[in-house]
Amino acid sequence: MRRHEQCAVALAAVACTVLGACSLDLQNPNSPTESQVTTSVDGVIALATGLQGRFATSYGNFAYMAGLVTDEFASTAAALISISDAEQGAVPSGTAIADNVFNSVYRTVRTADDLLTGSDALASQFEPGTRSGLRALAFALKAEALGEAIQSYQRIPINTYGVTAPSYVGRIEALAYVRALLDSAAATIAATPPSVFFNANIITPGVNLPNVIQLFRARYARMANDDATALAAANLVARTGPAALSLLTFPAPGVNPYANVTGGTNGIAPRRQWRLSMAAQDQRFVYFVTPSTTLTGRVGAALDPWSRYANPQAPLAIYFPDEALLIKAEALANQSQVAAAQAALDSVRTDCTGGRGLDDPKACLPALSTQLSQSQLLTEIYVQRRYELFGTGLRWEDTRRRAAIRGPVSAPAIPTDGQRCWLPYAIGDRNANPNATFTALPDPTEPAAFPASCPAQ
Amino acid sequence: MTLGFIRRGALGLALAAAPQFVSAQATTGTVRGRVTEAGSGRGVADARVTVTGTRIGASSGEDGAFTLSGVPTGARTITVRRIGYQPATRTLTVNPGDNAAGDIRLDVSAVNLNEVVVTGSAAPTEKRKVGTSIASVDSAVISRAQAVTVDQALQGKVAGAQISQNSGSPGGGGISVRLRGTNSFISGSDPLYIVDGVIVDNGSAQLADLGTRSNPQNRLADLNPADIEHIEIIRGAAAAALYGSRANNGVVQIFTKRGNIGRPRFTFTTRVAESELREQQPFNFYPFNENGLPVARFNYQNDIFHRAPTTEQNLTIEGGNDQTRYYLSGNFSDENGILRSTSSQRTGARANLQQQLTSRLVGNITANYITTSNQLQAFGEQNDYGIMGSLFFAPTNVDFRPVNGIYPLPPSLGTNPLLAIDRIRNPQTIDRFIGSSKLTWTPLTNLLMDYTIGVDNTGFEQDQFVPRGAVLGTAPLATGRSQSVFERTLVVNQDGVGSYNWRPMGAFELRTTAGGNYTSQRVRTTQATANGLAPVGDLVSAGSVFSATQLDIELRTLGFYGQQEIAWRNKLFLTGAVRYDASSTFAPSERWQAFPKLSASYVVIANEPGMLNNVRVRSALGWAGSQPGILNAYSQYISYTQLPFAGRPGFVNDVNFGNPSLRNERAREWEVGTDVGVFDGRAGLEATYYNRLVSDLLFFRPLATSTGFSRQFFPIGSMSNKGLELMLTTTNVNRPNFGWTSTATYTHNKNLVESLDIQDFQSAGGYPNRIRAGQPAGVFYGSYAARNCVTGALLLDSLGRYRRSNQTVDLGATLAQREAISGGTCNDSLNNVIGDPNPKWMGSFLNEFTFGKKLRVRGLLDGVFGNKIMNLSTRAQNAGIASNSKAYERELLPYGDPRKLPPGFNARTQGIFEYWVEDGSFVKLRELSASYTLNWAAVRRVFGEGVDLTVSGRNLWVWTKYSGYDPEINLFGTNAGGLQSVQTTAADRGFDFGGYPIPRVWSVSARFTY
Repeated sequence: MRRHEQCAVALAAVACTVLGACSLDLQNPNSPTESQVTTSVDGVIALATGLQGRFATSYGNFAYMAGLVTDEFASTAAALISISDAEQGAVPSGTAIADNVFNSVYRTVRTADDLLTGSDALASQFEPGTRSGLRALAFALKAEALGEAIQSYQRIPINTYGVTAPSYVGRIEALAYVRALLDSAAATIAATPPSVFFNANIITPGVNLPNVIQLFRARYARMANDDATALAAANLVARTGPAALSLLTFPAPGVNPYANVTGGTNGIAPRRQWRLSMAAQDQRFVYFVTPSTTLTGRVGAALDPWSRYANPQAPLAIYFPDEALLIKAEALANQSQVAAAQAALDSVRTDCTGGRGLDDPKACLPALSTQLSQSQLLTEIYVQRRYELFGTGLRWEDTRRRAAIRGPVSAPAIPTDGQRCWLPYAIGDRNANPNATFTALPDPTEPAAFPASCPAQ
Repeated sequence: MTLGFIRRGALGLALAAAPQFVSAQATTGTVRGRVTEAGSGRGVADARVTVTGTRIGASSGEDGAFTLSGVPTGARTITVRRIGYQPATRTLTVNPGDNAAGDIRLDVSAVNLNEVVVTGSAAPTEKRKVGTSIASVDSAVISRAQAVTVDQALQGKVAGAQISQNSGSPGGGGISVRLRGTNSFISGSDPLYIVDGVIVDNGSAQLADLGTRSNPQNRLADLNPADIEHIEIIRGAAAAALYGSRANNGVVQIFTKRGNIGRPRFTFTTRVAESELREQQPFNFYPFNENGLPVARFNYQNDIFHRAPTTEQNLTIEGGNDQTRYYLSGNFSDENGILRSTSSQRTGARANLQQQLTSRLVGNITANYITTSNQLQAFGEQNDYGIMGSLFFAPTNVDFRPVNGIYPLPPSLGTNPLLAIDRIRNPQTIDRFIGSSKLTWTPLTNLLMDYTIGVDNTGFEQDQFVPRGAVLGTAPLATGRSQSVFERTLVVNQDGVGSYNWRPMGAFELRTTAGGNYTSQRVRTTQATANGLAPVGDLVSAGSVFSATQLDIELRTLGFYGQQEIAWRNKLFLTGAVRYDASSTFAPSERWQAFPKLSASYVVIANEPGMLNNVRVRSALGWAGSQPGILNAYSQYISYTQLPFAGRPGFVNDVNFGNPSLRNERAREWEVGTDVGVFDGRAGLEATYYNRLVSDLLFFRPLATSTGFSRQFFPIGSMSNKGLELMLTTTNVNRPNFGWTSTATYTHNKNLVESLDIQDFQSAGGYPNRIRAGQPAGVFYGSYAARNCVTGALLLDSLGRYRRSNQTVDLGATLAQREAISGGTCNDSLNNVIGDPNPKWMGSFLNEFTFGKKLRVRGLLDGVFGNKIMNLSTRAQNAGIASNSKAYERELLPYGDPRKLPPGFNARTQGIFEYWVEDGSFVKLRELSASYTLNWAAVRRVFGEGVDLTVSGRNLWVWTKYSGYDPEINLFGTNAGGLQSVQTTAADRGFDFGGYPIPRVWSVSARFTY
């Protein structure tokens, strides 16, 4: 009998010990906390990798949506109804694929801001070249992400870090902010070149940060009609050698953003009209699509399947090198240097296999036979940009700039140029940001008469 | 470490118990008798017969006979209790050897205030003393349901409970239980389940994608219904305050059989059943296509569904003496699903042991090992390889039969269902141990102390094999996928309680109770996935592209409680209690919360003969809470997540922003009710009105996405449930050769989202269910077909198609244009509330007939009324890419046919969600059975208590206007807060999208008792 009592006492004692030892303060072993990431060197370096990952996603979302509402992409058969609506120019408020653009852009911005904060807080623990590389990377990718927002929305927030209700500004103010960020990026690495450690361990292998920064500078200078800066920056972008092509890579299990959208319910494919509208000799379709005579989409669009991005691990160029030449040509044409402009343009037209030794779209067209006038040149640049810069999302801003917004086009009619000016503001921000309610920030009014340009605000 | 302790503890207890087996007392006798019903004289089965002042007890057999062995000699009082009867006592002098107690007659009493309940009151308490309504369901009710799971067996038995089978998948089909409505958006809103004092895991998450929100099974399915002695259900916060921050959704406590004193009694039950699809859906079998050309069409349902056999064997052995009681059971069931290639097998064993350790110390051990093996297929919201999605999305003109061994794929969405049945595999194995050790110590006559330690340890292995080329497109899945996931869930629960009875002065009797409870739940998951599979081999190692994840989550809850009960003249009972509770999931500053309760019960009339037999009035007020589910256990922390890129590790901010001041939801409930027994106990009514308000409802509030975050776990508002529960029990006829009893339940619940601090939001991840202030939770909100504001007629376009409320091409771009088309303002809003999936009322009607002494027939009707269903299965069929519905067929008819629909009619209705809302009211013939007892002398020579033969059916008929397979299935049934369902709430109901139809089941069973 004593044994049982002893046993009971022992059990009770163990129970008390267990109860006494039970701490309710548990750490989360699955995810690091904010302080573990932002106050350690390894954590901040990992933020730089995370930033590049988010940048790839937001760039993919932007290019996807811009291609749908212009004349580049259409939905495949199994796609969701919202995607076939978008390819016909209808993007109602709350469309998930549109809101993805906004949400992913601002996630990229957030991580860039985290990286800037972290690299400042731990300034003494990084060698100067590493810190400069981290800061330039953050400036550049934040600028490009905001630039993608400018190319999709009529008004955007620019100060979003450490505030719960960011306010929206017009495109002109936003564009100036984007350009200032890019100038900071350029100045940072000019003052202190990125360290060997940064180039070997932080930036994605195959990406040349100075070239990326200058290309972005040229891109947004051109958007701001600052021809001098556009020309100067475009000339600083390497056109040959491995540094001329900055590629984001997707080793498995990572996937190229386009591979995410080639099948299933988000499926899109290039419109066949893009290939068919090319000059007969133009070979640039080879880079992007496999010609088809049968592939049709959800609402009957004639399509060509992707060739390059059919491989989920295909690398994605951050920019196509000939964009620099096209920006240069346009800047020169605007400055009435028509001969020089035409030379730059011909350099794009005649780029052919073996040419500059880069894996990029190759027109293999003959040089222009006669000197074009300024306006003819600008038209031709617009045409060449359509084929050279396919799937980059830049087409949308081109159609705005050329006043070539032609309104929604219901299938089976085939759109040309752009179909609408803007995306509706993201519901995710409307739901929680008092500066983005339907009253404070009504969705922009689309033009009523076409062709139209898109008024900046 | 804790587990080790339990094992050692259990072992120690078992060793300590062993010597006691030999110490039977010398001067004892055996008492035999029979329990009969007073009116009819029939034997009463499953009555509990105990010897007052000892622990000796037995249950009566089918014919009412009982044997009490080892009864100490001398004057003894025998008490007989049975749900539905007044307790009866018999005093006799026990002599050594056999003693005859004769017939003990039980008076029918629909209201039984002397029934003893445990749940919610910390210690065993007579129902009369409890100010809340507690439902009890006994083993007879459970075993007669012939259900494969415990929760299925409860369907239609409990007022105030909406028990829905969300799918027809084998192994139970994913049952959700809502007690008094939906009271939380998180945690599935399912009650807390306790088995023999052990909090058990009732998770329903699937570890591989079997349809993001399909409901194949919930883990309560691991319990063997045959082991259950009785179940107590407390429905609300007022009754559940002692369970603190987990009890907002009610508590279901399950007690397993303890064994009866006497010689070993063997019971063997065998059951053979067949399940079948109740009714095929109509599909488009029109022999022409959209161009008027002839086309062959196929009915895939013939190939997908089949008649599926089920077998079940169950053996129990029980017995014991005055020192030791034991109950052993083993069971095996093999259930095949009506969807080919799905099955569920359960093998389990249980040992329950009770041992008198000293005169004042009793030990109890329960040990239950279960292994469940499932072979499942994806359904619901899985449109790549889910079979139901593929069925609904496949045009009927595709010949899916393999050609040269290759299965053709459908043109645009889903997979070939025949391929899925033949080649896609989703095997699961669940190995589970549920055990408890309990010590009961009575150091003084009026002091009772209990200590329980319990463990629920589940190892869940889920594999998935999708061969290469089984899905459309070029996504990695098309290269094949093999996945292996292991999850181990360990719940350890410790409970200590002491209660002291005292009588400070004459008419008052007091009981003071205090206790503590500590629970830890830890879930560890490891997942390995491979794509790019080799042509042969279906393990992860057959792949060429790999990924792996690991998850480790722990949740701990610590609570203390105290309770004071005051009884006055056995008529008035007052209870006050408070639980002080903390959970690791909440911020330290908010963690400790008090949950008080007050209750009163007044017995006006007790056990009087005549017209009015029993009247009791009761009322209670109490508070309870609820916690986030295990997947959101770390919501108080601001954290970063891994985002590797280009082969390097990366971090980014988690878009779920942590809430450093997270606190629990808090429910306040009051209820008032009465129990009335009339007509000599032949009729009893239990009525309860309740009013519950849940405040600080936790859910994800949106954050401005421009900040780079998306959402935060936050108190977002409040919600109420008010309702009425009635249960009427009657004995209609009670003659020696014919008996007829009925039980009817009525449940009315009104749910309302009282306030919402955030924008109203889609609660079901992009589907129309919505949380909106001033509306019931989960209402359907979306586009509607515009109507003429003057006549109310549908507005049609020039082709005779509906106009969609939120489409400018249909109604114009400006409000003025809309109003001009509408002739008024009735179509001003783009979207409206278009239906409520919450039932207006629910009811059940159970009738049992006894013919002679051998034949028993019972039927249970179970109904849900006034609820709406969003039928997205038919919407999928109507989509152009599927074009396989009857409505689509009408679009193909030649012009001039009166049934012809205009071209594009079905394309238009795709976007009009109102079009897909249907009345979901139904009445099901849930149970129908006939049992016959073979007790000829020849049979009784071998099987002492005869052989029971039963023919039964489950879900045999459904009366409904709903056009889909089954109005009961629901895409969002059990999975709130589960895998990838951040935006799904427990309120989302009435959603039919590719559900697994619930089968009709016929079965034959036999029970042999020796």
